[in-house]
Parts: sequence; structure tokens; C-alpha cells
Amino acid sequence: MSIVTTKDLKKTYRVGETTINAVNGIDLDIEPGEFLAIVGPSGSGKTTLLHLLGCLDVPTSGTVTIDGRETARMSSGALSDIRRERLGFVFQEFNLLPVMSAAENVELPLRYLKVKPAERRRRALVALEKVGLSQRAANRPTQLSGGEQQRVAIARALVTEPALVLADEPTGELDTANTERLMDLVSSLNSETGQTFAIVTHDPQVAARTRRIVTMRDGKIDSDEPI
Amino acid sequence: MTFILRNLWRRKGRTFLTVFGIVVGIFALTVLGAMTARLNQQVNGMKGLIAGKISVTAPGTSMLRMQHSKVLSLDTARQIEKVPGVLSASGLITVQLKEGAGMSQPQMLVGYEVGSGKGLLANVGIAKGRELKAGDTGKAVIGSQLATDLDAKVGDKVTLKGKQFEVVGIMDATLGTADTWAFVPYSDVLPIFLAENPFFKAENFASSISVLPKPGVNIELLAETIGNTVPDIKVISPAEAEKQISQMTTIFKAIILGIAFIALFVGGLSIINTMVMAVSERTREIGLKKAIGARVRTILAEYLAEAAMIGFVAGVVGMLLGLVAISMLNRATHNSNITIFAASTTVIVGPVIFATALGTLAGLFPALRAARLNPVDSLKED
Repeated sequence: MSIVTTKDLKKTYRVGETTINAVNGIDLDIEPGEFLAIVGPSGSGKTTLLHLLGCLDVPTSGTVTIDGRETARMSSGALSDIRRERLGFVFQEFNLLPVMSAAENVELPLRYLKVKPAERRRRALVALEKVGLSQRAANRPTQLSGGEQQRVAIARALVTEPALVLADEPTGELDTANTERLMDLVSSLNSETGQTFAIVTHDPQVAARTRRIVTMRDGKIDSDEPI
Repeated sequence: MTFILRNLWRRKGRTFLTVFGIVVGIFALTVLGAMTARLNQQVNGMKGLIAGKISVTAPGTSMLRMQHSKVLSLDTARQIEKVPGVLSASGLITVQLKEGAGMSQPQMLVGYEVGSGKGLLANVGIAKGRELKAGDTGKAVIGSQLATDLDAKVGDKVTLKGKQFEVVGIMDATLGTADTWAFVPYSDVLPIFLAENPFFKAENFASSISVLPKPGVNIELLAETIGNTVPDIKVISPAEAEKQISQMTTIFKAIILGIAFIALFVGGLSIINTMVMAVSERTREIGLKKAIGARVRTILAEYLAEAAMIGFVAGVVGMLLGLVAISMLNRATHNSNITIFAASTTVIVGPVIFATALGTLAGLFPALRAARLNPVDSLKED
């Protein structure tokens, strides 16, 4: 069964008098174990699509089905349940909480899942181990480099063992070397543990590391090709 | 919990200023609260004196002043004793021993007709020794505070207004006015009073009469009957006396309430301001938390707890500073036998609970704002 399926998905914004069709009729299927990039020029609707896939936003019309559950009519509480249990997020700006250490940041989703403190800490350290940062567990985000911060963010996304990790321009703030290192990590996590990733990017170097590229233009899918 | 403190620590200056603002309010609340608590002690002490008896004075005098602008004849007391339901009517004269300084109690020498019952002392217990009895002369029953002041024990001789008295009893501490009073037989005070008031020519007089009812008699009704039967007197029933006393405390309570209200208003506004700033600064954080699955009530609880923490810390600090101030002031005034403040449980716990509740309440609006943020919009925010 697919993890996420969308049918004729549309999202419309109204800005003053003009209506913007950010996402304009998208049918997309993401299968377990996939590693895909969503690319396209800015304004093509790729971030909006990612938000819809991630239940961060509700569609104007059409459906998003996650694990066989239709989400369009769910309450915001039910949507946060799905995000908490089935999805992981990585953002361009890392979004680590400055008052928490790396390990505490990674523990945060488990806290919302009401996992016991000792178990939480154990799983956080396992996740940090996966991204190669176990020796930085006690450091605050400000004591970490950009690349390290993003790896902590990935550990945070992985710690709940989500069905799907959604990443919005995860390398946008990183230099070439760190981008390369991060993509090495993501692609090995995908191939070794079968973790599903969907990455929004405008960096061809990043897209080239994935195994499927969905290209968007004007809110529609322009092409959808495996590599 | 630790994250709440760390978040507050992140903006040390702002947190400090907010806390400081509330500390000032809570400090004032604690100090004034202690003053009221002390006042209440005095009032309650006074209640022991007024309970269960009717006080009769000449018309136009105030019960609380105990001065001798107008006096009654002892014949009036005998007249009152004839009213059905009256057990005894005891005439009193009072002479001031020492003026009260500031909020301290004046020391009074009270002479009463011992033969006509216990008078004012009817409902005040004797801690040591005995009560005065008919035929006593040169004997005194003194208040607990006065005993301390005079360093007197039962059996000691004390000199009051130039006359020697033997202390036969020491009263229970009432924390009220009677603690600084000395009760002696009427006949012992009369010459002292006349010597102090050379232009006063009357004999056989009383500045007030203390009336006790027979057991089972409705005291309020009896007071009314006395007022209707005996001419030219002012009758103060226990209920009336209590009303007069509570009028006195009402103004203090109003001041406390006023301070509390100002603290509430200023403190509440500054917490709201601080929390609104905290929420708008941390919009992205809130978006992130919601993205990774925090429920609305989780975010709400986090921000409410932060606001409550500001209130709680300020409450504790303000209360502690208040207690320090109280004990220093009490110590500074100790030698002159003034106790201005009483640190009751209400005085200690009240302001802390008040400040915490205030913080929670003030945090409600910003916390709701935080919890209701849309994750997509808040993630876009810079």
C-alpha cells in the first residue's frame, strides 16, 4: 500500500483580487522505501505540495490519503496525531530549539508521543548515532555547525520511525561540502533502512542523488521520472 | 519544567523586569497584609471583651475612645440591675497609664465594681492566679502584655499611677487591646481619677457600665429593653459593638484590596506584554512544535506554565522580601512594645497563590494565541 496518495489535489490562495492556484490538480503516489525529489522553479507550488502531503495545510479540493486514511476532513487535532505518529519533518532553517541540547531536541517528538524519559533518551541517542553525532548529544544548537544542526534535525525526524520524512530545502543553508555529506547520509539511510524520503529542492545536485524526480510547473506535475 | 526556566533565562533582562514589577506589588501586598492580619488579631482580641455583654455609656460617647466627656451615675447601674434578665451591671472608670505610640495599644487602668459581677472580664480567661473578688482592695488583674512590660508575676507588687497594687491574676493573651490593661477594684481608681481631673466634681459615677445577662436571655433583646426602660443612656449591644469595630477595619481592608488590584492590573499587563513578546519571538518554534505533532493543548500548557512561573517566582520573591521587611520593622519597634505586623499563613501563602494565579490568567491570552497559530504560517515567519 502506498504511504501517501493524492487525487486531483488543489490549493488556492486569494491575495487581494487575484487567485493563486499554488497546487492545481496533482495525482501523486509515494510507495514505501522511495527516495524522491520534488523540483521546480520558485512559485511552482512544490513547498505547498509538501505542506499538503505533511498535513500541515488543508487542501482546497481533492484528497490526501495517508496510510489509507483520508485527511481532507480531519480535525486539526487528528492531523497533529498523524504528523506525530507517521511523519517526520526537516526544514531549511533546521528549526532546532535553542534552549535544548541536541539530544533534547531529538527527544521532543517522543515527548509529544508520551514516551517515558529513559526510553526517550535511549532512542534519541540511537537516532543521533545514525546521523553520526552521538558525541555532540549534550551540545546546544548554537555550539553546532550548520551541517551538524541539520543532521540533528534529521535525527529528530527519524526518532519516531515515521513512514515518511518530508524535507523542505534541507540543504538550502549548507555549503557544497556539507550538502554532499548530508545527501550521503540521507541516501544511505534510505538504502540501508528503507526509510522513505520526499525532498523539496531546487538544487540539481541534490535531486540527482535521489531515485525519482517529480518536476512541478505552475502547480502541476510537469514530469515524474525515476533515475 | 527545566525548559520553561531556560526559556525565561533566554531573556534574562525582560524576565527580570517583569518579575521585578510583580515583586513590588506582592511586597506591598505582603507587608500590608501583615498589617491587616495584626489588626484582625486586635479586633478578635477585642471581640473577647465585647462578646456576651452589653455596654452602656452616656449618650454621645464612643465605645472605642473610652474617654470621659460624659459620665453615668452608679445609680444608673443599680437601675439597670432591676431590669428583668440582667444578671449584673458593673460600673467602670478608666485612667490612661501610658499613651499608645503609633499603632501600639495605650496602657489603661480600668476600675470596675467587683461586687457587681465580673464586668468586662466576663469572657476573658485568667492564665495565672485568680480573678478579683468582692472586697479586694489594692489588688490587680493585668493583661499579658502589661505583665511582660512591667515584668510582673502573680504575687508581685506593681505601682500604677503612684499607687501600689498586688498582682493577683494575669489574663490570657488576647492579642487585642485588653493585653495592655490593668483591672482593679472601682474604689481604687476613683481617687486616682479625681486627682487627674481636678475640675471633676462628681462622685459615684462610671464612664461606662458593663451589663451581663442572665443565662438563656437573648442579649440583643435585653439591650433593647434596657434602652427603653432606663433614661439617658446609650446602649451598645454586642452586635452593635462588633459593627463599630468592623467599620474600623473596613478601611484597612479597602486599602489592601486597592493594592491587590493595582498589583493585579500592573503585574497582569506586564506578564501579558512579556508573554506576547515571547510568543511572537518564538512563532517559528511553535510552528515547528506543531509540525512535529504537538497538540493545541500541549502548546497552551507550555506557555501558561511559563506565565505562571513568572508569577510564582515573583510571588515567592515578593513575599520573602515582605517577610524580611516585616521582621526588621517588628524588631526595630520591639523596644517600644509595638507589634505592627503579624505573619499569618494567609499573609505568606496568599500572595504566592495570588501571583501564580495572576500569571496564569495573564498568560491565557498569549498562550491561546500561540496554540492557535497555523503551523504553515508560523514556519514561514522570520
